[in-house]
Amino acid sequence: MSLPNEALREFLLAFADDEHLMGQQHTEWIGVAPFLEEDLALASIGQDELGHAVMLYELVCELDGVEPTDEAIDALAYGRGADEYRSCRLVEFATVDWAEALARHWIYDMVEGRRWSFLEDSSYQPLADAAVRASREESYHRRHAEALVNGLLNDPMAQQRLAAAFASLMPMIGGLCASGPWEADIVEAGIASAPTAAIVPELSRFITERFGVELPAGFMAKPDPQTNNDRTQRSEDFAPLMARMREVLDLDLTAQW
Amino acid sequence: MAREWKDLAEFEAFLDDGGIVEVDDDMPDEYRNAVFTFIEMHANSEYMGGLTERDWIPKTPGLRHKMSVLAKTQDEIGHGHLLYMVAADMGVKTRTEMLEDLMAGKSRFHNVFHYKAETWGDQVAIAFLVDAAALASQQAVFKNCSYGPYRRILKRIISEEGFHMRLGEDRMMRIAQGTDTQKEIFQGALDRWFWPALQLFGPDSKPNDVLLKWHIKSERNEVLRDKWVQKFVPMLQSYGFTVPAPDLTYDEETKKWDVGPIDWEPLKKTLAQGGPDSARRIGEARSNWERTAWARQALEASTS
Repeated sequence: MSLPNEALREFLLAFADDEHLMGQQHTEWIGVAPFLEEDLALASIGQDELGHAVMLYELVCELDGVEPTDEAIDALAYGRGADEYRSCRLVEFATVDWAEALARHWIYDMVEGRRWSFLEDSSYQPLADAAVRASREESYHRRHAEALVNGLLNDPMAQQRLAAAFASLMPMIGGLCASGPWEADIVEAGIASAPTAAIVPELSRFITERFGVELPAGFMAKPDPQTNNDRTQRSEDFAPLMARMREVLDLDLTAQW
Repeated sequence: MAREWKDLAEFEAFLDDGGIVEVDDDMPDEYRNAVFTFIEMHANSEYMGGLTERDWIPKTPGLRHKMSVLAKTQDEIGHGHLLYMVAADMGVKTRTEMLEDLMAGKSRFHNVFHYKAETWGDQVAIAFLVDAAALASQQAVFKNCSYGPYRRILKRIISEEGFHMRLGEDRMMRIAQGTDTQKEIFQGALDRWFWPALQLFGPDSKPNDVLLKWHIKSERNEVLRDKWVQKFVPMLQSYGFTVPAPDLTYDEETKKWDVGPIDWEPLKKTLAQGGPDSARRIGEARSNWERTAWARQALEASTS
């Protein structure tokens, strides 16, 4: 069976960009998390997420017929125009609030784990291999986020902070779970066993169980105004985030660091 | 089983004989306090070093490169974590008390982390020059350290610091073979970090240095500093960089480099928390610590 290359490239980029920017967001918390063990956990989880992004960008290189050198990976990670990225708003979102950072970690890893599980039996073998490796790491990420959230929920004040964090992130959950227009072809070709949006009922149940927050009925149909839940549109936080990541690279575009 | 010594003289004879002290031993208070303060400063330095580097982690040029930089910082903070445990076990202060003293500017950390990493070149210079200086000091402690728990932790720290130094060296070599912009940036970093890295070893050891007497340190400061100079001056020059020491000379007879007189005033200022970036570094650490206090309090309440 031939691969739907165009759809597959978009699908890989959407996942890679999410992993890349989520890993990037974790790097901002190292050294300033509430305690040392958390600094360590975020450094480790951040490395894993960036590693997943590298695996996925490598597959894009393969589709493009390019050797996955550091330069080729970096061209995909840092060198595209804003409209060529396929990240969702949740991973672009800038926050200095630890409750929001933790709530995002919990939501993202809950969904990420399911996204990888949809790929474990992929008809595209390199992706199935990547999924097996990533899923192993993801179970640790989820356990970490769960343990922290569960511990904090025992305290009424912390519970309030987490509920407020969820409220501010709520409009971004739809964009994380929305299936891109390319996913129909991906599922059809057996590359993924289900579209990303298939996670929604399970995620809604988990959020209600943990936080007592009901996701509004039909919330997926009410797109976030900044991005329209469409991975082809960037949020207001994307440009400063990219400028920060590119600060050293932009000093000399011919340099290899 | 806890051991006891009838007086300081007997304890010192035990140390001179190669004796290793363990946490449960009834060690003299002078020794306990000296070792504790030394380990606390080491722990604080690992932690503050991580904070100095974190300013640049999100800007690391390259995705795979960023993964290795993250791994390095994870190691540094992990060293702090282990060292705080070893220090806390001595029963002088808890980890929270040590961190609160650090945030309040009441306890010390190495001079180099009172400076700001101004450019990406500074990040590379820290990994190369500063990590090498720290590694040399730690190796000298490990060689003959009389406090067992510290010595065992140092073994792991030293093996990881070796990787960091090689990472710094690899990145410095790339820059040395790179563009004019890269070389200019690294030379600027070298101008800022050469002297603080050299001063990390401290002034010449005093004749009555208890850390030497009690076999915590095994080498005098000036010996370690000189080894560092003999290694790094020719290495930096061979890569085409200028060592920022106007009085630098080379003695053909002894085959040794001499950097000239060392101004110890900058080091003294850092010891009094008055370095160029001390106020910002400590202030930011404290405000981050305060901003996340709710999470620590909630978790403590839920586990107590």
